[in-house]
Amino acid sequence: MKPYFAIVVDSFHAALSSRILWIAFVAIWIFLIALAPIGYHEDYTTTFRWFDLDNGTQMKAMLARGLIDPEESETALGRIARVFPESVERQLKQVAQGEDVRIDKAALAGALNEALDNEDWYDADAWQATVRLKELRELDEKTADELTESERRRRARLRIEAALPGVFSVQSSRSIMLSYAGFEFPAFFAIGKTQFIALINQFVVPIIMDWLLGFALIFLGILVTASIIPDMLQPGSLHLLLSKPISRTFLLLSKFLGGCAFVLLCVCQLVIGLYLIAGFRLDIWNARILWCIPVSVFLFSVFYSVSTMAGLRWRSPTLSIGVTCMFGAFVLVIGFVGSYFDALVRRPDQIARIAVAGSDIVVACRGGGIKHFDPDSNLWNELIETDFRRHDLIVPPIRLNESMIASAQIRNGRFNLYGSGSLDALVMRREDDFDPKPGMRLPNGTRRMYVWDDSLLALNNAGIMATKMQQMVDSVASSEEQDDAESDETAGELDLNASGAEVSADETIPKSSAAIGAAAWISDLLRMQGGATEGFVDILPGNVKLTDPVRLVFAPKLDSVVIYSRGRLMRLGRPKDGSMAEGAKLTVEVERTIEDSDAAATVIAASGDAVLLARQNESVKWFRASDLEAILEFEIPEGERLIAIEPIGQSESFAMLATSGQVWMVSRKDDDTVTTRPLDFQDVASIEYVESLGQLVVAHHIDSIDFVEFPSDKKLSGKTVRTIRPSLTGWRKVDQWLITPLRTITPQTGELSETVAALVSGKRSFAIGGNNEDDTEVIRLKIARPVLSCAAFTAVMLALSCVYFKRRDF
Amino acid sequence: MSQSIVDVQHLKKTYRGWSFRGRRNVNAVRGVSLQAYAGEVFGLLGPNGAGKTTLIKMLLGVVKPTSGTATLFGQAIGSSAARRRVGYLPESLRVDRHHTARTALQYYGRMSRMDAASIGKRSDELLKLVGLEGRDRESVRRFSKGMYQRLGLAQALLHDPDLLVLDEPTDGLDPVGRNEVRRVIDRLRESGKTIFLNSHILQEVELVCTRVAILARGEIKAIGSLDELSSSDQQQLVIDVPRSEYADGTDPMESDWSPLIDLREGQTWSASVVRNQDRLTIDVEGQSQIDRIVDRLREEGHSISRLIVKQESLEETFMRLVGSEEADVS
Repeated sequence: MKPYFAIVVDSFHAALSSRILWIAFVAIWIFLIALAPIGYHEDYTTTFRWFDLDNGTQMKAMLARGLIDPEESETALGRIARVFPESVERQLKQVAQGEDVRIDKAALAGALNEALDNEDWYDADAWQATVRLKELRELDEKTADELTESERRRRARLRIEAALPGVFSVQSSRSIMLSYAGFEFPAFFAIGKTQFIALINQFVVPIIMDWLLGFALIFLGILVTASIIPDMLQPGSLHLLLSKPISRTFLLLSKFLGGCAFVLLCVCQLVIGLYLIAGFRLDIWNARILWCIPVSVFLFSVFYSVSTMAGLRWRSPTLSIGVTCMFGAFVLVIGFVGSYFDALVRRPDQIARIAVAGSDIVVACRGGGIKHFDPDSNLWNELIETDFRRHDLIVPPIRLNESMIASAQIRNGRFNLYGSGSLDALVMRREDDFDPKPGMRLPNGTRRMYVWDDSLLALNNAGIMATKMQQMVDSVASSEEQDDAESDETAGELDLNASGAEVSADETIPKSSAAIGAAAWISDLLRMQGGATEGFVDILPGNVKLTDPVRLVFAPKLDSVVIYSRGRLMRLGRPKDGSMAEGAKLTVEVERTIEDSDAAATVIAASGDAVLLARQNESVKWFRASDLEAILEFEIPEGERLIAIEPIGQSESFAMLATSGQVWMVSRKDDDTVTTRPLDFQDVASIEYVESLGQLVVAHHIDSIDFVEFPSDKKLSGKTVRTIRPSLTGWRKVDQWLITPLRTITPQTGELSETVAALVSGKRSFAIGGNNEDDTEVIRLKIARPVLSCAAFTAVMLALSCVYFKRRDF
Repeated sequence: MSQSIVDVQHLKKTYRGWSFRGRRNVNAVRGVSLQAYAGEVFGLLGPNGAGKTTLIKMLLGVVKPTSGTATLFGQAIGSSAARRRVGYLPESLRVDRHHTARTALQYYGRMSRMDAASIGKRSDELLKLVGLEGRDRESVRRFSKGMYQRLGLAQALLHDPDLLVLDEPTDGLDPVGRNEVRRVIDRLRESGKTIFLNSHILQEVELVCTRVAILARGEIKAIGSLDELSSSDQQQLVIDVPRSEYADGTDPMESDWSPLIDLREGQTWSASVVRNQDRLTIDVEGQSQIDRIVDRLREEGHSISRLIVKQESLEETFMRLVGSEEADVS
């Protein structure tokens, strides 16, 4: 191989003698020198930003109530409500009087930030009634002298958050402040160091890879190397080379490898420079960053194979560059079209939640639509249209009984859970072909509904509200009667009915303060906040306030509900006396505090006497439901995160869905260990156990569904008893028969950045968000596909080039 | 007969191409057969477009023959074994600009599967031989065409090949350089190397080649040693007859030489006056015809002051075979 090695080495020398290479070197070093002064430090998250105010309407209502409700005047809420400047206070009073007032979130956040520096509003007694997180309790125990300025501001922020529960989005207690040459940037990242490292690895490095390595250097590389093959084909050079005792194929391949030397030289400097800067300046010593070197050279080889072929064919560097650029544009267009189809065609159809009533299946999709499967046509029929802009939020559908499913659609809910407009339950009955009918009015900001025996529970930021199931069932009938009555009336005036189904949130707020008393205002404000409505009553005891992340599961064996709320795991028993729907409260039977990352995304499930709890970046914890004693812990595969756990009846076994789309069955083997077994499914989006059928419903590959039999007495067994493979319609056909084949034959160079993200972060998949479990974006990185498609393309191009070079007379 | 190093049998090459008028084939080499033997300097002569370069490319495996066979050292042309024993100097050597003479020799030495030590040793010898000693660390960017040619010759000799294929080896060289190249070729021939020389400089071919093939329109027009090419039966007889020697007082300008000259079909003659003598220039074929013409002149009483029998030169042979319309020789 010596001759071929000599060709490769010679190409290195040729690259080193290139002026463009040295210009590139200088540019790289200038870039690295410019980047080197970057730094960061970790500090407490203190400053409020406008987007921290997750629920603006709820906040307005709370503050307005704090201002006008005499009972709140000395509470934490009342004291906080009075810190706002006069202009904001005037607006809040207008809100209290039922006027539709828009208050700038930035103004609210600004006022809160000013309050951080002057804590005159604080009163220890008033804050005793609030739910104080562990961090706040610990800070409260310290004297003023023991606190740094950052800790004091942090404590002030936590006090404000405690006074306004449910208003703020969950933020890490630590923030990252970036600095440049010792000067701090005004903006900060409200994330801890772990998340900061994940951000760098999963987003920043792939972006650098995309733009700096994947675009600029590749283009530069093609400019420089395009002449290598045409130069070799010059008669005085080629004939001499071909007269040597070497193989033409290896000669070409050696020249090809040598051409890659240019990019290798540049990429090595850039990536090693970035690695050292990340290590020395950001304390991120991630050797996986070095994977960018081979991936970048590999990416370049895809384009260079085209340049080589063009150079052989036309023997012109200019034509080689032109053809390669055209190829790059084609690949880019196919990549864009493909990603648009992913986002607008495939993803909206992906099943997010499943509800099964008898043999009928209703699903909520990622695109915000609700669909019912029609076995006759083998199609999913849209009950609520897919919203491509994904503004609306769908409350996951639940089975009410064997012929009825309920859900809700929050208009613009993704951005404003407590936005204007009523939130009516949508009830889908078999007798109506599952056409959604408005049912009872739900508490504002309802995220989830649950059926617990004869009660229907609604969970929102304010807590858990309950109503009788029958009331919900009846509400549809009464709604229909009212529709009929309305059709007979000429006047369009609406009356309040028992459920308030036709009354919008705005309309519930009186237009005239003279017409209604302060008590009514307060009641309306409470409802605006997501409190009890006409049909729903609060069932949480007074000492339980829910703070995100909140998860709720049932433990039928103990007739309890298990709630996880920001590190607090509680089992609440059914009211001993009275019905929940009539106002009887749950009682806290057992409570545990789970230390460490209490703000981390969490999934939970209960089966029999077992509770399984998985928090991001932690091992899975197995609790005994009766006393919430942690029995054992076990790890899930490296780089995975659980996004759903389903109990298999009361068998104390579970199905766990990970971000990779893999499902594992898990049950306890003995006191210290568990048995896990993967199910033979890929690309799973959602799982749901249907206890009445004894089947686990697995939604996979966008909208296919398998029913896997898991009788409670046969742990971890499983047999598919029913499958749904829906026919394709419209754009899905275009995707299947045109876009997918095009993407298959086109090297997916753009997707190589996903390979980099996976290599650098060490994760094959990850989830964004997670405080609201139904709004978690799962990103499955394509690792093998882009590598295979690019490798196959490069191999084909090189094979064609070699055949051409071997057969051609020169 | 020495061992045949280059053996070409009925070699043909047709380039197929397309133009607006349809398919267009060019017959570059049309059934060439030749042999070059060990230790000889074989010259390939021909006008531009005669097929010389195509023939060399076929021998080196750069171009594949359409039909026919050829071997180098008994190995099929194009085989790695055959190419291993060949050194080649292309007509316009192109060396990548990042090289110096020494690094270029290292590079080409590696191509010829030499080890580093051999390359170093041979490079020193050859750089001295071709006159590039002392300039071996200089970038080839600053090389003149002649220096490139010297470097090309050095790389061709680097792996001590048994057959040297030289395509216009003195192209671009000054007279001193040409002379040096000729001396190198002579020395190589003396050391038993076989040299296949492609040139259009007839003087060079006459000086160094032991055998020559003349190629025109893809065909061999003549092949053999210089003597063989020149010793064809076609000769020219030049006779000077002094006027003062006329006995009968007749005016020599009015003499009719025709009856005295016995010509065969196709042969021509001419008469002119040069320094008061009649000069007869006659195409002849063979000694017997010369004898007859001389006898006849003497019988008629003519005195002969000078008699020259002229052999055909290589240039004349070339011109005769190729035709002046195709000739492009210097």
